[in-house]
Amino acid sequence: MLNDLRFAFRLLLKNPAFTAVGVIAIALGIGANTAVLSLVNALLIRPLPYRDPARMVLMLEHFRAQHLDAIPVSAPEFVDYQTNCRTLEKMAVFQPGTFNFAGGDRPERIFGAVGSADLFNVLGVAPIRGRAFEAADCTPGHDDVLIISERLWKRRFDGDPQIIGSKIVANGRGFTIVGVMPASFEFPIPLFGIQGAQFGERADVWQPLAFTAQEMKIRYSRGYAIVARLAQDVSAKQAQAELDPVTATMRKNYPDNYPQNDSFGITAFPLNEVVLGPMKPLLLILLAAVFLVLLIACANLTTMMLARAAAREREMGIRVALGAGRWRLLGQVLVESVLLSLCGGIAGVLLGIWGLDLLKRIGTQTVPRLSEVNLDWHVLIATFVIAVGTGIVFGLVPGLVSGDPNLTETLKEGGRGLSSGARRNRLRQALVIAEVALALVLLTSAGLLIKSFVQLQNVDAGFNPRNVLTMEISLPALTYTDNASQARFYNEAQKRIASILGIKHAGFTNILPMSGTNSDSSFGIEGRTSDYNNPSPDEEFRQVSPGFFEAMEISLLRGRQFSESDNSDAPPVTIINAALAKRYWPNEDAIGKRINIGASAAREKWATIIGIVGNVRHRGLDYDPLPEYYVPITQTPNNQAALVVRSSQDATSLISAIRSALRQIDPAQPIAHVRTLEQVVADSVAPRRLSIWLLGLFAAIALALASIGIYGVMSFLVVQRTHELGVRMALGAQRRDIVRLVVGHAAKLILTGTLIGLAFAFATTHLLAAMLYRVCPHDLTTFGFVTVVLGAIALIASYIPTSRVIRTDPMLALAHTA
Amino acid sequence: MIRLHNIERSYPLGRGQMFYVLRDIDLDIAAGDFVSVMGPSGAGKSTLLHILGMHDHGWTGEFFLDETAVHHLKSKERATLRNEQVGFVFQQYHLLDDLTVYENLDIPLSYRHYSKSERAALVADALDRFQIVGKKDLYPRQLSGGQQQLVGVARAIIASPKLLLADEPTGNLHSSQGEEIMELFRKLNEEGMTIVQVTHSEKNASYGKRIVQLRDGWIV
Repeated sequence: MLNDLRFAFRLLLKNPAFTAVGVIAIALGIGANTAVLSLVNALLIRPLPYRDPARMVLMLEHFRAQHLDAIPVSAPEFVDYQTNCRTLEKMAVFQPGTFNFAGGDRPERIFGAVGSADLFNVLGVAPIRGRAFEAADCTPGHDDVLIISERLWKRRFDGDPQIIGSKIVANGRGFTIVGVMPASFEFPIPLFGIQGAQFGERADVWQPLAFTAQEMKIRYSRGYAIVARLAQDVSAKQAQAELDPVTATMRKNYPDNYPQNDSFGITAFPLNEVVLGPMKPLLLILLAAVFLVLLIACANLTTMMLARAAAREREMGIRVALGAGRWRLLGQVLVESVLLSLCGGIAGVLLGIWGLDLLKRIGTQTVPRLSEVNLDWHVLIATFVIAVGTGIVFGLVPGLVSGDPNLTETLKEGGRGLSSGARRNRLRQALVIAEVALALVLLTSAGLLIKSFVQLQNVDAGFNPRNVLTMEISLPALTYTDNASQARFYNEAQKRIASILGIKHAGFTNILPMSGTNSDSSFGIEGRTSDYNNPSPDEEFRQVSPGFFEAMEISLLRGRQFSESDNSDAPPVTIINAALAKRYWPNEDAIGKRINIGASAAREKWATIIGIVGNVRHRGLDYDPLPEYYVPITQTPNNQAALVVRSSQDATSLISAIRSALRQIDPAQPIAHVRTLEQVVADSVAPRRLSIWLLGLFAAIALALASIGIYGVMSFLVVQRTHELGVRMALGAQRRDIVRLVVGHAAKLILTGTLIGLAFAFATTHLLAAMLYRVCPHDLTTFGFVTVVLGAIALIASYIPTSRVIRTDPMLALAHTA
Repeated sequence: MIRLHNIERSYPLGRGQMFYVLRDIDLDIAAGDFVSVMGPSGAGKSTLLHILGMHDHGWTGEFFLDETAVHHLKSKERATLRNEQVGFVFQQYHLLDDLTVYENLDIPLSYRHYSKSERAALVADALDRFQIVGKKDLYPRQLSGGQQQLVGVARAIIASPKLLLADEPTGNLHSSQGEEIMELFRKLNEEGMTIVQVTHSEKNASYGKRIVQLRDGWIV
């Protein structure tokens, strides 16, 4: 055994190219699979961080006639559902919240949520310190308690063991900390996809929700999502069947609030589907990609081992002639294979760890819960076994083949060590064809995604993101108690910031384009009647300050921008975008028309359309612009806003000056989520970029492996035929004749592999359709380009060994014995 | 020691036709004999040698090696018998390029049931006997043709076989190197080893005790 080990080491060192390729093939197969499978296991298979998440649902309403899906519920609606649903054992509501923490070096805005009493019971997660909400906390005046995350506890409070009972000031109000949630707890999870919700960041603070008496009277003010736990042995379908009559009763009891048809309803979405559903296609595609890479790596290993088997046929024959039994030979070969495979396995583990770390760094903004994905040892062991097992199995080929060799042929005078082994040659060539085919499938997929991404990058967003800085501001309700105080803040802030040296324009908006959030509101059109059977329009709604359109460089098409004079004392005005103008005034001039932006018919607020601006792709570059209408934030204030600043220089250099200007107005006012607008746009396409990056990487690996496979096989075949080629050259064959002969043979293999790969690609790329933007899954340009690139690289790989033999002296080639 | 009766070896040509490499071979070789098998190229000399060495199993007829009916043995049993009784010297030496001289000598012992110390002792003996101690750590490519064949002969006899088969052992050697090897064979034969060699050389054949002529697969 020791001798075999020594010999195996020597062999590996003596053949560095073979060893390197073998180790790399196994490492890539293991590394890529480990990283992606860890991801899939954590995100798709591992449960959400709640008790029995399969029994949880997220409930959201819809008004289909107004194209409103996944909208929150109102307080009275929640009470109706809670009262009338038996199939749901527990139910809670929640909505996003921001908390301006005072104290410390500077004020800090922290993202959180407000939730009803049963929230943590529904989720089934207990605090690690203190307690969860109690019913008494959720009454007006008693909701001055907070539960914080372990992360926040350690970061801001240094893990103070006396944290429970600590008093802090947030949003200008005193709170007592009553509980600390574990580090693994995360709620709400980003990408809950609730219309109007701002769930972009991880929540670190939870406050109990106390419905006010006023709130309980208004059915149409919808701002809460419901999370519920199904009763024992009840399915989501059964729960849905119970909810439908509840909504029917609501329609009947409150005809003024609901259309008298089935346009209104509520849906109970399984929580797993809501969180993970959008990620599933990407993860499954990645799984398929790494599986293809593993197949190619295994095929590569096999061709290498087969070539090696042939090259060592003579050696194996000698060993048999010297007395080696079959098992002895297999044992020796096994030691060699295990050694190579182990080296590859170790490299694969390291690659897997590194790859996962890299994945986490580049994908954290995109994939929920990615930061908590760790190397999954079960996955690592499984892929280790697969790849190493492949190396061992196919490394045994020399031993198996030579177990009963034709010694006479191998050993006699003139016998060439490299037998023709027609069957093995066919197998090698079949493997090369398979590698080319698989590589083509991966390359085509990557090519389609890349083309799609390039198309997306060239889309006109409707604004100019260069040299624009954005940041978020939250005005605490206790400090800014009315619209007037909020409007004063925005006015003052906009003026001060706009006057900073280097700033060209500044403005506020309640929601930044492409920030992943949205808001909409219904309105009436003067001269047009509506009721719930013929509902009034409901479109995207924005509250902006003067300077916003200029800062964003959103083009003004008609009329005028908002100005300082459009304040709370002035008549209400509104600016609409071209899409809204086209939808509602297709054949007339919308300027001067009036819309009712009041809360209800009883509380009318008629705003005059004073301008029409260009369309903005608010939801994302790959979404068509939607109709939008803008109102001055000073006339309809919002305590949550984003500041947009256009500068004549690098915008990030002005952060300090802006912070200082805001502090002069309110020293306790923090800023949050500071990003350039380019970063905002980039983050909006981060999921696509991630999928391109990964698929592109796997495609590149596949291409490299396939090229190495082709090179290896052609190299072997050329060596096999060196004597023959020497004879041909001696008989007059020119270099081009030899090249045509050898590369021509390779070209046939490549062509066959390409045709098979194209067929597979045609059959499978439709699976990418949802991820493509204005690119057909069977885009001929992409298919053609990828085919040409792969073919060219493969031909070069086959030419390299040929070029060596055509430079050889024919005498040497004639004398060649393997 | 060896008795061959009606040995035939053929290969199919297709369409039911056969090509006979050896036809109706009857041959007796006594223990201690030194037989040279001669004949033109393609006569079947190497094939006969490989049948005697039990490298080839596609033959028909009867083959007795010291009363053991080889023709009745399975291939695994033949391999065991070969390990015990036969050493083989090749024209092309067939040393393992990635092993040193020492390791090449050790290889056949590692395939037999020798302890580590026994193997070390036998290899040391062989190195000393063939005066190649100074070359034990060299690789075959660092040796001359004669030295490589010397190692090949040493390897063939290191496990003390009763029968030594040599296929054109001096075919790739210079004449003086060839003489050295043939002298070595003569000495081994004098010590009692049965030797069968295939050779084209009359001079080499003269080292043996008798000659068997093969032509077109027949003994003439």
